Amino acid sequence: MTSETGFDVDKYDRFPTTEPRPEGELEQLEQAWCGPRSPWEWITATNNNIIGVYYVGAAMLFFVLAGVLALLMRTQLALPMTGFLPQDTYNQIFTMHGTVMMFLFAVPAVEALGVLLLPQMLGARDLPFPRLGAYAFWAYLIGGLAFFCSLFFGLAPDGGWFMYPPLTSMTYSPGINADFWLLGIGFIEISAIAGAIEIIVGVLKTRAPSMTLDKLPVFAWAMLIFASMIIIAFPSIILATLLLELERALGWPFFDPLKGGDPMLWQHLFWFFGHPEVYIIFLPAAGAMSTIIPAMARTPLVGHPLVVMAMLATGFISFGVWAHHMFTTGMPQISINYFSAASMAVSVPAGVQVFAWIATIAAGRMRFSTPGLFAVGGMVIFVMGGLTGVMVAMVPFDWQAHDSYFIVAHLHYVLIGGMVFPLFAAIYYWLPMSSARPLSERWGKWIFWLMFAGHNLAFMPMHLTGLMGMPRRVYTYLPGRGWDLPNFISTIGAFMFGLAVLLWVIDMIRNFRPFGPREAGNIHDGPGLEWLPSGFYSVRSIPVVKSLYPLWDQKWLAGDVAAGRYFLPGAARGERQTLVTSPLNAEPQYVLRIPRPSGWHLFGAVFTAGFFLILTIQAYAAAVISGVLAIYCIMRWCWFLDAPHARKTTEIGAGIRVPNYVSGPSSHGWWAMVIVLIVGGMVCLLAGFSYVFLWSRRPDLWEAPPPISSLLVSVGLLAVAGVCALAAPRAVRMARDGAVSAATGLLVLASAGVIAASIVEGRAWWTTGLRPEVSSQGASVYALLSWAGTFAAIGGLMGLYVLLRRLFGRLASERPSTVDLISLFLAFTAAQSIGVMLLVRLFPGSGI
Amino acid sequence: MKLERGGCDHVPTMRTIGALLLSAGLCVALMACADKANAPRPLAQTDAAEGLRLIGHHGCAACHAIPGVRWPQGRTGGDLAGMAARPLIAGRLPNQPAVMAAFVRDAPALLPDTGMPPMPLTDAEARDVAAYLYTLDDD
Amino acid sequence: MLSGWPPPVLDPAGPFAGPVTTVAWVLFIMGAVVLTLVLVALGVALFGPRRWKRRVAGEKLVWIGGLAFPVVVLTGLLIYGLSVTARVADTPRPGEMRVRVTGEMWWWRVAYLDGQGREIVQDANEVHIPAGRPVVLELESADVIHSVWIPRLGGKTDMIPGRRNFMRLQADEPGVYAGQCAEYCGGPHALMGLVVVAHSPADFAAWRVKQAAPAAVSGLPGAAVFTASGCGACHTIRGTEANGLAGPDLTHVGSRQTLGAGILPNNQGTMAGWIADSQGIKPGNRMPSYSVLNGQELRDVAAYLESLK
Repeated sequence: MTSETGFDVDKYDRFPTTEPRPEGELEQLEQAWCGPRSPWEWITATNNNIIGVYYVGAAMLFFVLAGVLALLMRTQLALPMTGFLPQDTYNQIFTMHGTVMMFLFAVPAVEALGVLLLPQMLGARDLPFPRLGAYAFWAYLIGGLAFFCSLFFGLAPDGGWFMYPPLTSMTYSPGINADFWLLGIGFIEISAIAGAIEIIVGVLKTRAPSMTLDKLPVFAWAMLIFASMIIIAFPSIILATLLLELERALGWPFFDPLKGGDPMLWQHLFWFFGHPEVYIIFLPAAGAMSTIIPAMARTPLVGHPLVVMAMLATGFISFGVWAHHMFTTGMPQISINYFSAASMAVSVPAGVQVFAWIATIAAGRMRFSTPGLFAVGGMVIFVMGGLTGVMVAMVPFDWQAHDSYFIVAHLHYVLIGGMVFPLFAAIYYWLPMSSARPLSERWGKWIFWLMFAGHNLAFMPMHLTGLMGMPRRVYTYLPGRGWDLPNFISTIGAFMFGLAVLLWVIDMIRNFRPFGPREAGNIHDGPGLEWLPSGFYSVRSIPVVKSLYPLWDQKWLAGDVAAGRYFLPGAARGERQTLVTSPLNAEPQYVLRIPRPSGWHLFGAVFTAGFFLILTIQAYAAAVISGVLAIYCIMRWCWFLDAPHARKTTEIGAGIRVPNYVSGPSSHGWWAMVIVLIVGGMVCLLAGFSYVFLWSRRPDLWEAPPPISSLLVSVGLLAVAGVCALAAPRAVRMARDGAVSAATGLLVLASAGVIAASIVEGRAWWTTGLRPEVSSQGASVYALLSWAGTFAAIGGLMGLYVLLRRLFGRLASERPSTVDLISLFLAFTAAQSIGVMLLVRLFPGSGI
Repeated sequence: MKLERGGCDHVPTMRTIGALLLSAGLCVALMACADKANAPRPLAQTDAAEGLRLIGHHGCAACHAIPGVRWPQGRTGGDLAGMAARPLIAGRLPNQPAVMAAFVRDAPALLPDTGMPPMPLTDAEARDVAAYLYTLDDD
Repeated sequence: MLSGWPPPVLDPAGPFAGPVTTVAWVLFIMGAVVLTLVLVALGVALFGPRRWKRRVAGEKLVWIGGLAFPVVVLTGLLIYGLSVTARVADTPRPGEMRVRVTGEMWWWRVAYLDGQGREIVQDANEVHIPAGRPVVLELESADVIHSVWIPRLGGKTDMIPGRRNFMRLQADEPGVYAGQCAEYCGGPHALMGLVVVAHSPADFAAWRVKQAAPAAVSGLPGAAVFTASGCGACHTIRGTEANGLAGPDLTHVGSRQTLGAGILPNNQGTMAGWIADSQGIKPGNRMPSYSVLNGQELRDVAAYLESLK
């Protein structure tokens, strides 16, 4: 095997080490990673073992809340024309059910599973950005709860979880209900993206040494693909919510056909996110299935490489199917045919996974403990949902089934079979690892059968009600059409499902009681690293991994790991540390010092959530204050990053030494920044698409751009800014006095340049007389410029930040990461601005 | 596609058989209700189930809340729950079977200022409707 | 016979629904067969004797069951589906009768067009068509997105503000076909019904002549109440001074099958109930409840409107 980083892979043979471990090493490790001791420490904790549990718990809370909403709806629909819920309440409730299930339960739940499990599975001590993870969690919890509470004030959104304009525009939804959705959800997406960054960098950069990609657990693959899909898909919903909020608040007509907008633009943007979203939810759950089924059948996953390929294929194809939600909108025949074909194709990788699971079960002996039951039950339900999925991929059939209860049945089969049952399997399977105490098997079987029967009883009849002509999203229906009986049966099934969840909640409360023994250990004989003996520090030492199923294949591994005979067995200098490895072959690169808990990320989360929520209720002054405080907290949190190290290297076991600090593409921070920029670039790309789309609808509205001379000025400014930004990392590395000051100067210049260019370009457009609220051209041009301008403004804050660090002596030649990352951001900002300006000036080619 | 809810036919020859069956049924019903203060008032040769079907068919519930009709439960006219036990129709006419049958068919003929329009019912149908209303006891 | 059976989607009444019903049955059979195969494989894997289990335990199963089989089945389905799509969704041809249906919150404005696309007759909440020949619906929206769905006559098509979609419709036999708005449009979306009435060609011609005529001059007292109550601000009755455009055209409202967009039977009683309490019957709809009318006035208006056959 050739080395990726120059690391001598033969050194792996030195492990497990044989010499005795030094006195006090374990105590120092435990001391460094000690758990919270006071309530404040529980709140400010950043350790993934704690945040992960909070995260899963919060997601399940939203699952229960949205489930209660479902029961309310089923009560209303049990009989025709009941008056249990008034019309507007029902409309709010069905909107919230979908929204909460998708945004506050499904995505966070799988993300939470990743946060909780990945470090353990990969042999890392924690995720690479624990405070970012904690920030994401708190922002999500606070934002989510406040969003949910809007229901109690009758202010909950009522435009459906898909929020189609013009129904959600100011004209038809004048209340702040829709704003709650737009600001609340847009903001929770930001939290999801933060989590995704954490997961991508965690999987690629903090694996146990020697865990090459072919030994990467299938769940980690799933999470990697999941997080990458979030990075590509979520910018679309962020942009969509931004545009709709701009239209609502400022009257910029993106979707208003009277001024050149088009409601279809929303549908494209929403489903470009919305369909991958389904697979975003499904893939991690499928990864969990591919982990649990082999463990329960005690045999390796049959066709592991095929399964990984299938997941990758799902990820790719899922971005090409969005318009199958729009077959009835009068799309051209050619597009319909393409999306029909792609929608069918996307079911193939799912089939590969299902048959891999069946083959695995056949190869081993399945144990029918609760995780096994949930896995098999979920598979059956998912297959049925997949089959109705193939049906609605057939366009003529979809024209009938679309927006009817047939679709309600289909999507619940897919999501409950593909995500909820696997999630319950995962909870039953992994809870003993997390709480060191299993859930009741006897109850578990009851819960499974109630849930399985309840699901089928609730959703099977809906196929029929759909074919009988019952549309979705109706708060009631007229008697005498034969819909009464199937609806009544559905309601009974829904309550059975609810009963199962209630039993589960009771058992969970029992499980987390603060007394009684906690000694479950590896009760399923699981093969993954997460089943190694562990504490808050994760594993005592980070093992050399020689197989996909290390605990099955490496016989003495658990004992050796616990005895500290592998990598990083202690906490040098009492620091929290984990090992950063290379992305392909996981060769050790450096020791990452993990930040300790602090209040700043927490305050940052509170004020960020506060900013968006207060903005919704239109208390602008308070919102601005909260926003400024949020920025302050976040900058304060960053301030202590990139701090000096006492030593240059650390011994990570068997005499191997690696550096404590690395900059550039090997560093975890560089990866995170690149991912952030991809998110920004995606938003910009989609905004560019929106611009072209709107032009194609109404080219007659397009006016001539400002004279070319101003463009030359702004592009010139940006070019200079870009060069300055790119030169800064070189400057800071110069081995002579003034290097740091030179780099600082370059970055400040660059940030000034991007801001100046934004102003020049904005003024040039303004003087042409084009206004954003007048036409779709105005709206989309100013939206693009504002996006670029926002990046420029953030770049300005970064220039200020780097200047302050220079003044306070927190920059150094040997620690260039801060300069590197800000340089990356500014160079990207300059390039993005150039792209935006060229697009709005040169396309569609008028007036040059 | 129409659903015959009562399952009763309107062919006149069937009527007599129906009436026989109904009076037998009424005897049973009367015995069952023997201890109650307000027994349903007898209306000869009627079919309360058919009356309910007609009520649904003509949308009487657009103005009246009528037990047995889930929707629309209109509020314009009176709530007809407990109609059998009420002393007056529309607060002014004696609540007697013949008056009731006449009223549901052509209310303005009896009360010129009523808001209730004449309904497109035959005499027999009006009696069926009245028969159903007389099943609406308070309990 | 069970009410609601056969389900309208599986009980086609025209050439744009029939092939889709065939597709549906093909798909149901496909689904049943595949589900059976998967369940059998799963059953063998879980409970089968060792010899059988060994046959499904290899990677071969994944290649065949997960990859080859679906690709073959899906390709077949796709080709079949595309051919039906092309057949059912044929673009409108010149010379076909056109009806413009505009979705409004929460009713349907209907206009019959002549060969040049000019409106010749206005109506609401009902589409009358001659049986046995295709009719083109031009679908537009006056406010938010709606969707027309008449399950027995074919699939649904959306009405999108700023766009015009087409939908071809044909009923083979005269009859009444129920439909409903299928795209969530807020408020009482659940109570936005539509009725398609197919006539024999002769009846249709007669209907059209009658429909094109203005309302007969009426000596009924309700006509005066209608005018005095300001109903004409929102409703048009051709031949009278009522010329409002916000609500449905009432020129021949007495001849309609339903009231309140497909939700109530149409007679003097329901008309009176609707006028007096439309908000109680269909909460949130755009017509206020006219509780100011006394009993006699209410009855007179209802009688007048019902006389507009």
